[in-house]
Amino acid sequence: MAQLVLQELYHPERIDFPLKRVGKKGSSKFEAVSFDEVLKDIATKIDNLRKDGKANKIAAISASHTILSNMLLDRFLMSLGSLNSYVEPSIDTLTNAAVNLTQGINGSISYDFENSDFILSFGARLLEGWGETSTIHRAFANWKRRGVKLFQIDSLCTRTASIADKWIPIKPGTESIFALGIAYHLIKMGKRSKGVNFGDWSQVIINQYTPERVSTITGVASEVISNIAKEFASAKKPLAVSGKGAMGVSSSVAEIVAVQSLNSLMNNLGKKGGVFVKTCPGLGKPKLDSIASAAIQNVKPAKGVDDFIKNFENIEILFINGANPVHRSVYGKLLAKKMKKIPMVVSIMPLINDTANYSDYILPSLTCLEMTTVIGDEAVSTRNKSMHPGDIILKIAKGIEGVSNSFPWSSYKDVIKLASNVEIKPVIDFSFTTKLFKSHLTEVSKRINTTSSKYPLILLPYELSTVGDGNGLAFPYVLKGIDAKILTGDTLWVDMNPVTAKKHGVSEGSCIDIISEKGKIGCVKIHLTKTVATDVIAVPLGFGHTSYTKYGSCKGINPKEIMSDSIDPISGIADWWFTRIKIS
Amino acid sequence: MITRRWGMVIDLDKCTGCGTCEVSCMQENNMPIFQDDSDDPKRVKLLNLMKITNDREKSLQYGDVKVAYIPKMCQQCDNPSCVAVCPANATDIGDDGVVSQIWSRCFGCRYCIGSCPYEARVFNWWKPRYEGTFKESLNPDVSISSRGTVVKCTFCSHIWKRERDKAVAKGITDINAVSYTPACAASCPTNAIIFGDLSDPLSDVSRLSKDKRAFRLVHTVDNWGVSKKKNLIKKYPEPKVFYLSSEEWIRDMMRFK
Repeated sequence: MAQLVLQELYHPERIDFPLKRVGKKGSSKFEAVSFDEVLKDIATKIDNLRKDGKANKIAAISASHTILSNMLLDRFLMSLGSLNSYVEPSIDTLTNAAVNLTQGINGSISYDFENSDFILSFGARLLEGWGETSTIHRAFANWKRRGVKLFQIDSLCTRTASIADKWIPIKPGTESIFALGIAYHLIKMGKRSKGVNFGDWSQVIINQYTPERVSTITGVASEVISNIAKEFASAKKPLAVSGKGAMGVSSSVAEIVAVQSLNSLMNNLGKKGGVFVKTCPGLGKPKLDSIASAAIQNVKPAKGVDDFIKNFENIEILFINGANPVHRSVYGKLLAKKMKKIPMVVSIMPLINDTANYSDYILPSLTCLEMTTVIGDEAVSTRNKSMHPGDIILKIAKGIEGVSNSFPWSSYKDVIKLASNVEIKPVIDFSFTTKLFKSHLTEVSKRINTTSSKYPLILLPYELSTVGDGNGLAFPYVLKGIDAKILTGDTLWVDMNPVTAKKHGVSEGSCIDIISEKGKIGCVKIHLTKTVATDVIAVPLGFGHTSYTKYGSCKGINPKEIMSDSIDPISGIADWWFTRIKIS
Repeated sequence: MITRRWGMVIDLDKCTGCGTCEVSCMQENNMPIFQDDSDDPKRVKLLNLMKITNDREKSLQYGDVKVAYIPKMCQQCDNPSCVAVCPANATDIGDDGVVSQIWSRCFGCRYCIGSCPYEARVFNWWKPRYEGTFKESLNPDVSISSRGTVVKCTFCSHIWKRERDKAVAKGITDINAVSYTPACAASCPTNAIIFGDLSDPLSDVSRLSKDKRAFRLVHTVDNWGVSKKKNLIKKYPEPKVFYLSSEEWIRDMMRFK
């Protein structure tokens, strides 16, 4: 949230100068060193690795908001000879894999909210921090005036669901089936897509995703589904939106493609009020020297950040650019364990977070008010010895032989224009993938099967707009605003339906542990409310930091520790939305 | 002579509960910073973004219930009971209709807290703290309160003073030529909070305050006829913060119906 930037700028725990680890990894013991010393050490280490033919043992994880420095880091790693540059999941990275698969270009989905007149959201909590919040808030202020309808499909009573013209409560984890159930009706109504392979795909939909089956799996009455399909079909500029969640989003590629197929059926791809593809040509490909091209040959990088964290071995240098995968990824604990063995971890960020705690070097970076952006000059001058992450990368790159040629810029300011060159392209092509949906129905119904007695409950995440998926918790004014029925002191509250509570013998204020196949988190208190369905426990994301300033540390628990960790085979990102649990 | 009568309209249908108003209010008014501000009794804030839900309604089940948010601050009554009880003249109603609060005059008797029907006033149980470099983010236009005093929202009247000073520096001496926007209204991303002059019939606030969706918090007299109001109650608070909602349950809940 933009209002938090002042607290970030003036935060008393902002790092004043580069830090070097002195204690054990994870023990939070650091001492101040000079920038030159650190950058020289990193450059020497990289040089040695490249000479030993281990260039592909260098990796980086960037936060999704670090667009410019992420581009530079990407380019830097590639020119060194490594393809291991990853970004934390966001709606852009999630949809990127789907766009690649269905539309054949490298970009992410961009919805035209400003001009659409009927929005059917599949669990995307649009008004609670989803996507580019400023754009959506602006569009939302106009929706009421223009008479735009918002239908929200969600398995929790969120604010977006309450504000929507209609909320369709659905069984958790069945959004993709619901989308294909609507596709069934649209096809029956005579809607056709010009997309490749549409014939085969529509056969699968008509044969498998029948109203009765869809109704049983999603828990939504057949008439409701057919009515929504009718309203969707009769709207002038309908828009189906995918990406469950708010700031932390989680959807499988299959789900995004299923929702996207509705847009294709309504022929709104590349049209006003429809779906566009956002691409950024970025900085282009660097010229590789012999060491780099040798290292890149025959190397297959991981598909996404979670895939990387789960499977990487023998990484020698890991850059963390503003990211916090130890807290945010469902593989966070594994990453923390693996980071202890990586010889050099370099974090670039203004505040020490859970991930930076396992670093060898922490380099202080600017907060957004101190950065020059495409809109204009920096609002305030730089505090302390902080540097823009882009400048840090440029400085390291310039010290390495064979790489410096790919970085002709003297400062990050020279790259701003190139990096912000985002194109919103109208892409009409769409190819249907039958393969994704042939066994999808049985897979989903197997996964959500509630007869399992070992883990009878379902954990669903939700977010507070100010906390997001964790970044807001370092700021005291955020803590001050959190409802007492969400956080009291250090204890987190979770929401449960009174019927479920009765069944499990717990009541308002009871302390429970939550257990999944992955482990146990506790203790949390129960708040009884009918805003959650029976057999569901709603847990807020973003809490339970192990180390994120004295304000944000050890407040509540982090549900990611026990959330499901199945990695999507196409995007390489874990799909953590739906987790079976029990309580004790 | 001031002809302004500042008022506010908050459209709950547009409020997403994002919390921007709350954070910007704290930042603008130098709210204290404690290490553990998640502890409820310690909290000092002028604007409280309350989450409300109709889930207690027996006839409603999951699927029918709703959640909403209400930003609640001092309701700036025309007949403020807090002013009547304050023994120290720490709080007063100005010509512009804004109920002021002078931190340094307050000696902490808390009569005003007891008399406020909106629980809009808070007491500094602890000495306000601003750790380390957070001090540099303090707003120089707002004085820092001390322990044992009552604080409340003043419609960011310091911003009006600042705007007036600016106008005077430009040679504009007509006080009614100056307008301003409090921090919460300025920062609301969906324009749900609208601020303006209630005495100007053409302003957005006066128009919206008469909207059929409008209601005032716990102000049951609003539903009475004019004559009943006149006969039975000489002085009722008449707050100048209006809320708009198309949801019947919110209007009923907030009127204690």
